[in-house]
Parts: sequence; C-alpha cells; structure tokens
Amino acid sequence: MNDFLFTQVLTELEDAVGRENCSTSEIDKVTHSVDYFWLSRMWADRGRRMPEADFVVSPKDARETSKVMKIANYYKIPVTTWGGGGGTQGGAIPVAGGILLDTKRMCEIYEINEEGMYIECGAGAIYKHVEWAANERGYCTMHYPSSLTCSTVGGFLAHRGIGVVSTKYGKIDDMVLKMEVVLPNGDIIETSPAPKHAAGPDLNQIFIGSEGTLGVITKAQMRIYDQPETRRFRGFLFKDLSSAFKASREILQKFKPSVMRLYDEAETASLIKKIVGVERKGAFMNVAYEGVKELVDVEEKILLSTFKKYGAEDLGSEYGEKWWKEKITFFYPGHMMDLPQMFGTMDTIAPYDKIEKIYRAMKEAIETNFPQAKFIAHFSHWYEWGCMVYDRFIIDGKDVPEDPREAMRLHNAIWNLGVRTAIANGGVVNDHHGVGIKLGRLMKEQYGPAMQVFEGIKKSLDPNGIMNPFKLGL
Amino acid sequence: MMNISEKAKKTIDSCRFCWMCRHVCPIGNATGQERNTARARALGSSLVARGAEEIKVIAANVYECALCGACTNNCVTGWDPKTFIIEERREIILENAAPEYIKALLKKYFETGNIYGKKADGIPETAYGGGEEILFVAGTDAVVNAPENAVNALALIKKAGERVSFIKNQDSGAALYFLTGKTRETEEAAKRFAEDIKGYKKIVFYDPTDLALVSHEYKEWGIEISGNAVSFNEYLLYLTESGKLKPKKSGKRYSLQDNYAYARDLDDAETGRKLIEKVGENKDMLLCGKEANFAGSLIMNEYMPEVMKKVAENRWRDAINSDCETLVTESPSEYVMLKKTEPEGKRVITVEEMLAENL
Repeated sequence: MNDFLFTQVLTELEDAVGRENCSTSEIDKVTHSVDYFWLSRMWADRGRRMPEADFVVSPKDARETSKVMKIANYYKIPVTTWGGGGGTQGGAIPVAGGILLDTKRMCEIYEINEEGMYIECGAGAIYKHVEWAANERGYCTMHYPSSLTCSTVGGFLAHRGIGVVSTKYGKIDDMVLKMEVVLPNGDIIETSPAPKHAAGPDLNQIFIGSEGTLGVITKAQMRIYDQPETRRFRGFLFKDLSSAFKASREILQKFKPSVMRLYDEAETASLIKKIVGVERKGAFMNVAYEGVKELVDVEEKILLSTFKKYGAEDLGSEYGEKWWKEKITFFYPGHMMDLPQMFGTMDTIAPYDKIEKIYRAMKEAIETNFPQAKFIAHFSHWYEWGCMVYDRFIIDGKDVPEDPREAMRLHNAIWNLGVRTAIANGGVVNDHHGVGIKLGRLMKEQYGPAMQVFEGIKKSLDPNGIMNPFKLGL
Repeated sequence: MMNISEKAKKTIDSCRFCWMCRHVCPIGNATGQERNTARARALGSSLVARGAEEIKVIAANVYECALCGACTNNCVTGWDPKTFIIEERREIILENAAPEYIKALLKKYFETGNIYGKKADGIPETAYGGGEEILFVAGTDAVVNAPENAVNALALIKKAGERVSFIKNQDSGAALYFLTGKTRETEEAAKRFAEDIKGYKKIVFYDPTDLALVSHEYKEWGIEISGNAVSFNEYLLYLTESGKLKPKKSGKRYSLQDNYAYARDLDDAETGRKLIEKVGENKDMLLCGKEANFAGSLIMNEYMPEVMKKVAENRWRDAINSDCETLVTESPSEYVMLKKTEPEGKRVITVEEMLAENL
C-alpha cells in the first residue's frame, strides 16, 4: 500500500476507534506478532521478526468494530482478531498483515443475571475477570483451563476452548447462551435468545470455532453456576490404560465427575511424578466429583466400587488435591516444555471404540518416524460416548535444527504425521486448541467434500476474503 | 544491545512467552493494550537483546509499568518482571532514548527538587512538634501533592502526645529510581537522604514507597540507615496499643485499600487491618492483601493521566462489586488517585482520618 493510501486508511481507522486506540507503532506490531504457537515463538527466539500487522486497532464495542470492518471490507484489507494471544495454533498471528483487531478493550462486564444464571460481557474480557465477577456474587464460571488468566471470552469461543471440569460442566460451546457478532460487512447481529431451539441451525455454533474467519464476536452471555457445596478428589493407579478406559466408560454411564484425568505410563513417570509426586508404575488417574453433598456421597461410593472392579488402586485424596492446587503450575516457565525444546499437543477426540487405538497408533507413528521425539499423553475430557487424548511430542533442544526453516520443516512433518494418523483411525483434527494456520492444510483431509459447507458460509459472509486469511483452511 | 544483568536477561527469557499474569496488571486491565503485559514487555526486550529491535522502540512501553509487582506476586515460579523493567529504564536514560515527557519530568526534578515542578511548602514545620528522637518523613508525594494528609497525620501524632522531628530533605530517591533505575544520580539522592536522617532513633515513613526503597534497594546499594525505619501504620499501631491514642469501637465498616508496597514489597498486609479492627469492622474486597489490584502512581499520573484515572476507576469498581463503602488508604498517592475518582455514595479516607474520626 502506498504511503498516501496507508495514511488515508489510518485516519479512517483513527476516526473509527479514536487515535489512541489505533496504532502503527513498532511495539504494538511486534507484540501482536507472536502468540503461543511454537513456530512463532521459535522464530522470535532466534531473533527473527514474525509477520506483523500494519495497523493495530482496539475497538471498545460492536459499534466501533463495525466501523473497522466497513473500512477493511471497502479497502479489502485483511483483519486478524486477537484476544489474549494465548492460542497454540497461530490463529491470532496476522500472517497477511493488514489490521490486527485487539478485542481487549471490549472487556466490560455488562450484567450479572442471577435469575438467568449468566454474565453478559464483552468478548475481550479475560475469563479470570469473569470468574472474579461471578465469585463476587457467590457464583463461578466452571471454565478453568490453564489459560484462564490469560485468554479472553472471545478467544475461548473462537477456538472452542475447554476447561478442566468439562466432564461435568461442558466445553465453552456448552456455556454460552447468546452472542453478538460483527460480520465482515460491518453488520452487527445477535444469535438467538436461547441456545436450544428449533428455529433453524444454531447461529452460535456457526461462529464458535470459526477463529475469526467469519466475523468478530464482540459480546457474549456466559453461564454461571452455584459454587459446589463440596469438591472431592480421588487418585487411582491403573495397571494399564485399557482397564482405565473400561472403568471410565462405565462410570460415565452412571454419573459425571467434574475432573477425569488419566495419564499414560510415560506422563505418569514424568510430569505427574515431578509436580504431583506420584512415583509409581502404571497409569495415574485423578477424579473429582462435586456438587450437593448428599449426591457426592453417593457418587463417591459408585466411583470406588466401579473402579475397584477394574483393578484400580485407590490412592486417596492427597494427590488429587495437590493436582488441583498445582493445575496451572504445569504451564509456568520451568515446569512447562519451553524453547529450545520443540513440542506440540495433538489433542484429538473419538468414541471409546477408537480412542485407545488412536493413541497407540499416534504413539507408534511418532516414536518410529521421529525417534528423537518423546511422546506422552493424558486423557482429560470425557463424555458418555468417548474422550479426548492430549498427546504431546517433545524434542530436546539439541535435536532441534538450528536453522529456523529446517526447524519449521521438522515441526510440520511431525504434525502432518500425527494428525493424519489420528484422522485415519477415526479422530478429529483437533479437540480444543483449534486449527489456526498450524493445521489449516489438514481440514480438507478431515472433512473431504463436507469442507464446501464451511467454504460456502465463508464465501457468503466474507466475499472479499478479508477475515483472518490462511486460518482454518479457509 | 542492552547492558543489563544476567538475572534480568533470564527473567526476560522466561517471561517473553508466558501469559499467566496478564490478568493482574492494573495498567493492562485499564488500557486493554497487549503491550501492557509482562509477556509483551519481555518479548520486546528479548528482541532488543537479540539485536532485532532498537531500545527506543520499547522505551515508552517500559515507562507504562507501575512497578507494583502484581505480576511478580502472581508468578508461581518466582520471576520478577520488575527486574528487567527497572534496569531497562537505566539503559534508556543512558542511551538518551527516553520519551520526551520522561525527560521533562527529570528536568523538573533537577530544577525544582521534585518531578512535579511544584513548591514543597504545604506542611508547616510547626506541625511536627520538634521531637528529637523520632523523625517523621512525609515523602515527596505527600509534601507536594497531599500536604493536608501529612498535616492530619502529624496532628494525630500530636494528639498522642508525641513530638516528631522535621527535615527539609524529603526525597528518598524514590522518584529518580522509578524513572531512571539505579543511576549515579539515584544513588547520590539516596546517600544524601541517608545522611540527613542520621541520628534519629526511629524514622517513621508516611509513604510506603519510601520505606520499601530504604528497606530493600538501600541495603542492596550498601547504604545504611542508622535508625529504626518503621511504617506509619506500624507507628499508629504502636500509638494505639500503648494507649497513647485511644480510638473507640464505632462498629463502622471499612475496607483496606492494600498498598502494593506494604502488602507485597514489605510483606505487611496485616497492620492496616489491625488498625481498622481497633475502630470497626474490616470488609475486604475480593482482590486484597497481596492480590490487591491497584497502582495509584502520581508519577505516572504526570504522563498518562487518563490511564491512571481508569486504573483508579477500576479499583472503585472492585470496591463496589465487593459491596465496600469506605476505602481506607495507606499511601498518599493512592489516596489522591482514589479521591479524584470517588463515586457518589462511596468515600475514601486515609488511615489517620479513620482513627481521628473514631477518637
């Protein structure tokens, strides 16, 4: 873009959001160029600059967002939406330049509706702030991912996030009642007043997981819950994963624990040993059950008797309580994998008849083809019909190519193999981190001709293709 | 390239990819700007350290940190982003890369003795009473921006039958340290101050920021204080517990606005609460003690007043959401910022005002 046109667009954006909320400064561009995606971090770690936006704008609400979208749509300038920037898939990186739309000024808590049991807030609110707002009235949000303190409501919705008590309370897509969205043409729309209905397809679910490719979520009504009267933990040691799957499937037909985390032998021997202190061979599982005390008493009896049938050793409540206390510690520097290591989480989900097969196939594929990689996994979001595997590969820094292009080549080859193995065995591209630029190429392999449904929606809503280019395979 | 310590470099390399503390930054929460996070500051710094960016690019952002330590307190693994921020301020000054508004504050400091460029004559020397053993240091912020608070504090001390001494030099070096880090000028100011407060048995610091500097940085720089340095809160507690001040229990409800220097730097979130319990009932906000989310810096108010106003408004929102009516402040700067933004039906008072209204 020539200097004249650039300045013209800049003044229009300044008019839309206020001069102080429209930046072309180096610091704003740099800090919005690296998110939690390993490749972006590696690139910066080696002193290289990631692709940067030309303009960084921070609208305060849907009205200002609409103005930005109209400008972008007219000049056909790419728009990449940024919430907390904590995504692992590169979804928030402005790879095509253009406008970076940071949502964090849209952080207002508009209403705490105790009758309807929801909080209406701006999509840029950090979820921990929503949790605090709920806590101040004696409620809670029950959305507790490791990124609770750093990611926004809109960010979680845009990539279908999930928290550690999901087995009882659901994913983010189960927690939203209604949303306000600004379309690429600048129109402001609202989804239906209630999330369950027979008034056509679910508008919420069209935009949830769309990763900023169809519009910008600007406001949402998120569910709140009563604080549980009691929350109890129980640690178990299974001799192998197979018996743990059978026990868990059976328990899910009876009641829903809040936390269910089953660690494979490798993760039990590494992270769990380091942080929770379990030094035993086998597959460690931590279960939490909570709610009204009388019900929890009954659930505990059912849990203990069911798991006993499958040979689980009862380790008591100590490890589980320690895990709960330390559940975010795993992600701090020094505990989490970090550069110069190469690492990634290939979370996928499948029904019980496939999940163990997927895990074993992915483990074998990665360990055979990339012997320098360590493979660890846990299973932490469970349903009556199946569960999610959170499998990670880790490569020591000494085995990571120094040349960043070669490092990218190795990284992408591992991801291709891992995710293709998951898909071939009945899994899905991703469970709760999203797709971004990291996995976009694999979406067509996942969906085949079904991809045209997404492409059709994209073409209809965003005919100029300005929204988050090169993400989600769209 | 920056000439910063290994500790600062290590902190940068840990913080640059860690997102965990962004929710607690009072500045970031007020601006909604990505650059106002420990991660973003560290990322910018790491690019400078790697030669991929120039220091002038990060300079303004480095001055958008209040050094309140909320991020440090929140870090499970003990990293302290303040470490590299304060060292970078020194580098920025030495490289002559500071924003013009920072240079202007420093110019005022060297011309008038304080960064506000105002006269420091709001507290009459007679208010001190002329004691010889106890020195009362109001500090620059109070002397220049809230002299009436310091006068009230001194009146309360007089009521207790105590006489405290006055010195002209009220500058511990805290403002210079905030703006320039540990420079020669900061150390000289600190040494002058240490010299001027020599000979007193007890030194009562009205401003927690001054006490924190004297307690930590002075020690690190090898500057000794001859007397016993205590906070104004501790002194008030001594006056009440020794019976020199006899406040009555009124049953009123107060909420302590925990000052970050007290709660985090000096690890004292209790004395203020004990003082409240002498006269009424303490009603805490959700975010209190070490988790208190406020940084009412009058220095930053000089160059980013709109943001600081929003920071104070956010704190009032916390108070309102926690159903708190009267905030009790422990620092002159926080009092000034909260007073400016006081919502209808709420009030902010100083800890000495609280005691005085219950005598």
